Amino acid sequence: MELFVQALISGLMIGGVYLIITLGFNLAFGVLGVIDFVVGEWVMLGAFSGYWLSHYTALDPLAFLPVTAVIFAGLGFLVYLLLNHILKRRSARTLLMVFVFTFGLSTLFKGGALTAWGFNRRSMDTFLSSKTLFLGQFLIPEIRLAAFVFALVAALAVAWVLYFTRFGLSVRAVALDADKARLMGIKVNRVSAVVYCTYAALTGMAGEFIGAIYSVTPQMGVKYTIFAFFVAVLAGLGYVPGLIVAAVLLGVIESLVTIYWGAQYSLLIVFLALYAVLLLAPRGILGKGRRE
Amino acid sequence: MNTNCLTKRAGVVLSGLVFLGLAVPSANASPSRDYYKVGVVTSLSGQMVRGGNVTRRGYDLWAETVNKQGGIEVAGHKYKVRLIYADGQSNPQSTADAAQRMITRDHVDFILGPYASGTTLGAAPITERYKVPMITGSAESPTIWTHHFKYTFGTIPSVDHTAGKIVETVVNQNPSAKTIAIFGINDPFSKSTAEAYRTEAKKLGLKILSYDVVPTDADPQPLVIKARSEKPDILAISGEISNNINAINSMKSINYSPNALLMHYGVNTNSFLKATGKWSNYVIGATLWSPKTPYKGQLFGTAQDYYKTAQIRYGSAPDYTEAASSAAGEAFAAALKEAKLTPPLTTAKREKLMKALEKINIMTFYGPIAFDTSGKWYHDNTKLNPLVIQMINGKAVIVGPGKLGNQKVVYPRPKP
Repeated sequence: MELFVQALISGLMIGGVYLIITLGFNLAFGVLGVIDFVVGEWVMLGAFSGYWLSHYTALDPLAFLPVTAVIFAGLGFLVYLLLNHILKRRSARTLLMVFVFTFGLSTLFKGGALTAWGFNRRSMDTFLSSKTLFLGQFLIPEIRLAAFVFALVAALAVAWVLYFTRFGLSVRAVALDADKARLMGIKVNRVSAVVYCTYAALTGMAGEFIGAIYSVTPQMGVKYTIFAFFVAVLAGLGYVPGLIVAAVLLGVIESLVTIYWGAQYSLLIVFLALYAVLLLAPRGILGKGRRE
Repeated sequence: MNTNCLTKRAGVVLSGLVFLGLAVPSANASPSRDYYKVGVVTSLSGQMVRGGNVTRRGYDLWAETVNKQGGIEVAGHKYKVRLIYADGQSNPQSTADAAQRMITRDHVDFILGPYASGTTLGAAPITERYKVPMITGSAESPTIWTHHFKYTFGTIPSVDHTAGKIVETVVNQNPSAKTIAIFGINDPFSKSTAEAYRTEAKKLGLKILSYDVVPTDADPQPLVIKARSEKPDILAISGEISNNINAINSMKSINYSPNALLMHYGVNTNSFLKATGKWSNYVIGATLWSPKTPYKGQLFGTAQDYYKTAQIRYGSAPDYTEAASSAAGEAFAAALKEAKLTPPLTTAKREKLMKALEKINIMTFYGPIAFDTSGKWYHDNTKLNPLVIQMINGKAVIVGPGKLGNQKVVYPRPKP
């Protein structure tokens, strides 16, 4: 029983990591309709941002979360300008062009990081790295707990903005139908830019946590691009509240399968869960994802 | 149909055939040259980019050193070497494509092979088809040698020959160690290492509490938590340096330190030590080479000389993979000299090169090189003895196997 509860806790923490990387990604998809291949590289660059800022200042990497947010919001804005240029053209294959563009950008970021920083893996120590919270006989690594709490707070904050603020209403309107939203007087470009910048900022900050939990390398982004897709599809594309359920579910499945069955089956079970959802609930496990 | 029309058609068909004949790639050599064209196929991007660059350093250092000395001396004349690189992108299919391009388009004389066992298995059928000898200075999975590829060789002994020695050393010196938990990454090298740990554990009568082989990017946290609850005397992990670093970070996050932590590859490398800090202390691994070994060869001098040369050239200490990669070049040079094969190498000459490689028995800075010509380690260099090391304050101390050890294993592992 003890091991089962510990596995659940571990799964929750893993789910926190998935939530943190998918939150912005799902938001961007909901509003822009863009499946952004750069998500993994935002994570990677965010990890490096925390690593280098900490390296040169000798301060804890987590202290630079707000700095990372600002840097990545700025970078996100620049990327958005290019994305918007492609989206505005409304050619026959706009989405494919966007897909190719983001894939190319992802390759550029990865290659650039490899050239600039080399191939060695680096660890990023924070004041939480060696700390463990004990709840009776159960333990929670504090760095993972911090990532989980950050992800949860960010998800709730985003959900609050979306459903309880005027700006959030604009975002939802644009997500529903950008043309009609424009006719209603909503500044669609401005809304989209803010959403993309928020996505880049959130994912960059997620990268700092992930770099601290695991390690930092230019190759680290690929895995998170894949998982962002998984979780977003499971949650229902464009549906933010579903993310919390989907991320936690995936994390718990992975943890339980690893501990009780064998880690070699964890990806298999995760894929099977994904296929089951796609077949039985194509709009996500809560049935509220974007209808294509 | 009139004659003109027929003639035109015949002319078109003939031209087409001539064009096809020119266009169809062949592995035969291009016009004469006075240097060896050496293909380097390794992972210069992708998951294995770190390891691929380690092999590249080893190959580059060999080529630079050979050329500084005028080249490889064959039949009284010296021939320099020129390396041509291709990126295998850390996957077997891309590595196979890269090898094919090197052979058919670039007409390389021989190939210095990939970092990883999976990618070596991708390239091997290609080099076999075109009869181009390849030596990998890195791949360690036994599955490469069981295929009995005639044109593939390896300078590092297979991991099933070496990994078990780590477990054996720990248990022989500490009979109180009775239980073991094993987890490894699901790639040819790491899986073979995990299997070798398990085989040795069974032989020694250890109780195997768990055995897991996980996907490359799997989060090690659940496995580490499982190990913590199982409390094995020995926790044996097999993976690349990146996986080992992630596993250590997971242990650090829950402050878990087993009595003995085995990690086989890379524990004495700068990147592992820097990334893990004090948590690298007392980790036990293996190496196939160390600058403290007494080996000496003609090209690089002693093991210590090689160490200094590599350190100056790259600003970091070479590991055994880098050393084995340089040694791969030395093996080729020895075979070329023995068989008196001058560039460019035709198919017939490459076949002779392959046969010459089977016969070499040389001593280098890296140690002895002689390739098995039968059995389950066909064309692998099994003459080299592994060294079991334990990291103590950033230094690799040789603890076995047997009398090769300078001191005993520190067991149980003090908490970092």
